[in-house]
Amino acid sequence: MKAVLKSIGRFFLKRFKGIRRFIKRVWAHRQGKIGLTMVTFLVIVAVFAPWIAPFDPYDVAERTTKGLPPSTTHLLGTTINTGQDIFSMLVYGTRVSLIVGVSSGVLIAIVGSVLGVMAGYIGGAVDSFIMRLVDVLLVIPTLPLVIVLTNVLGRDFWIIILIFVAIGWTGLSRTIRSLVLVLKNSNYVKAAELSGASRFHIMIRHILPGTSHLLIMSTALSSAGIMVAEAGLSFLGLGDPTAISWGKMLADAQSGGALLFGAWWWIIAPGIGIFMAVFAFMRIGIVVEEILNPRMKQSSGVYKIFKNLNSSYVEDVFNSMDEHAQIGEASSAKGGAHG
Amino acid sequence: MKKSYAIKRVLYSVFVFVIVMALNFFIPRIGVADPAERYYPPQGNMTDAQYEIIKQLTREQYGFDVSTPQQFLNYVGGLFQGDLGTSFRSGSPGVMELIVDRLPWTLVLSVSTMLLGLIFGIMIGVIAAMKRGRWQDTTLLNASTIMIALPGFFIALLLSFFLGFELEIFPAYTDPNMVSDFGWNMTAILRVIENAALPVLSMMVGSIVGYAQGTRNAVIAVTNEDFILTAKAKGLRNTTIRYKHTLRNAMLPIVTSIGMSISGLIGGQVVIEQIFNWNGMGTLFLEANNMNDYPLMMGIMLLLSGFTILAILITDLIYVLLDPRVTVGDRR
Repeated sequence: MKAVLKSIGRFFLKRFKGIRRFIKRVWAHRQGKIGLTMVTFLVIVAVFAPWIAPFDPYDVAERTTKGLPPSTTHLLGTTINTGQDIFSMLVYGTRVSLIVGVSSGVLIAIVGSVLGVMAGYIGGAVDSFIMRLVDVLLVIPTLPLVIVLTNVLGRDFWIIILIFVAIGWTGLSRTIRSLVLVLKNSNYVKAAELSGASRFHIMIRHILPGTSHLLIMSTALSSAGIMVAEAGLSFLGLGDPTAISWGKMLADAQSGGALLFGAWWWIIAPGIGIFMAVFAFMRIGIVVEEILNPRMKQSSGVYKIFKNLNSSYVEDVFNSMDEHAQIGEASSAKGGAHG
Repeated sequence: MKKSYAIKRVLYSVFVFVIVMALNFFIPRIGVADPAERYYPPQGNMTDAQYEIIKQLTREQYGFDVSTPQQFLNYVGGLFQGDLGTSFRSGSPGVMELIVDRLPWTLVLSVSTMLLGLIFGIMIGVIAAMKRGRWQDTTLLNASTIMIALPGFFIALLLSFFLGFELEIFPAYTDPNMVSDFGWNMTAILRVIENAALPVLSMMVGSIVGYAQGTRNAVIAVTNEDFILTAKAKGLRNTTIRYKHTLRNAMLPIVTSIGMSISGLIGGQVVIEQIFNWNGMGTLFLEANNMNDYPLMMGIMLLLSGFTILAILITDLIYVLLDPRVTVGDRR
């Protein structure tokens, strides 16, 4: 057990260096710069929300400030029914979106890579079981499934994140599996096998490093996808009822008569919030994809992953497996040489 | 070869459907000892003895009074007779009848979104690919960068606000008369089109951009193939190359993407139907969720999953038919 923890720890420590180098590569792209800057900005807003927001967004006490259009005191106006300051709500809403999106994205990367590597490397019954599970999750429409599960399991913050992870890992694990199938036959893995390394050791030290760039891409893209899904869920009034989120703001705007009374600021503001967050993470994902696969300047794969978290993006992102095998092998070979 | 593949593929779809069916049966039973508790949660002002009686009645009414495996068999048996169970609503209507009532309205939206999205998407995609690097292409790229990050329900709200409430071009809420007064005459059909305009438009925008981007990439990928170069070298006319060589081959990835996009379309439509108060399965699903009407929710889920399985199966088979190069068997 100790050895296992140690090797996992060493893996992440070494990856951390790699990730720093990788962020530099993303920064080198113009698109990457935009994405990284926007994400940093959003993180700062989320962390320092109480200092940035001029009013208390939870304060729904009877006010005289109902339905004010944007002005210097209320930058984005106020709500019609409760007179809450929309700018403050927008600032606080960043927290929910970022936490749900990023933590689901990271967890999806972990679950997807573990299951994908297992399916690809161990093969046999494990492989067919995991892949059949993917096929089943793929055909069940995502949003209705999320709604049913929140109904059965509850609507707490963490439960919602876990539900997103339980449904969202499928596409990534498929992609990782097909990459692993190629890596499995590469010379350095063969060499490790021949020198008597255990399966676990090979999976952690030789196969997993080869997929790490893919994991960064997946984290960015699935975070973006989950943010939209969370907004949709909150919009339907099925998110965490105690939190202020952008989706919930839109729902309040619709039910509070923003459409009817022409309070355009109440609709536009949360929409811009969602757009910014999603756009930022998408940019990073797209740049990483370009680094991975320079030949595809614009990818249809990204669009699909995003529109439907479950869709199989194997075929699209990895149109040409051999090209990726080369990239994978190159980066793993580097990882192997270091270790 | 092809026939055996088709049979295998059909059997596999049936297998997936059976698993989905089992999931459907077990999800409402997660975390409760007695399904009757899930279907009828205890109310505050009720004594234990009263609750026990109500649970007993619920068990009898919904067939929970037999063992779980027997319940599952009854459920599966019912499915084969087209019986999706009994809804929780007053009067205990069958789930199937409720769904069949709403199904056409949902299909009106999804089919027209899909067809219009495909037609416009492919057209725009082909134009962008032909004018690669020029303004048509860059506009598409910019549009798709922005559209990707805008959730469908936000677009729907904007359209409903500007076209529905401010300019009053289309109705922002579905006219209830659309359903009650429906008949096969001109006024009724026109009313459906008028009411469907905004929901379809808001779903269509995203799917047009998606299909256009996909088509553009597929066309460009084909343009780089050797056989296009050969066709050029043979001195074929440009239009012949364009329509007979490039487009035909570029259609293949688009055909497969249709099957996959159906699941996403259905999921997104739940929110859109809610915004426009459209009388479809999406609103039915949300109503069921609000009333904890599990038989109805699971019935809708099963039907939607069934549709998706069927769509993926059909596109897979079409793909094999269209592309003789596909070596059957390695697609899984």
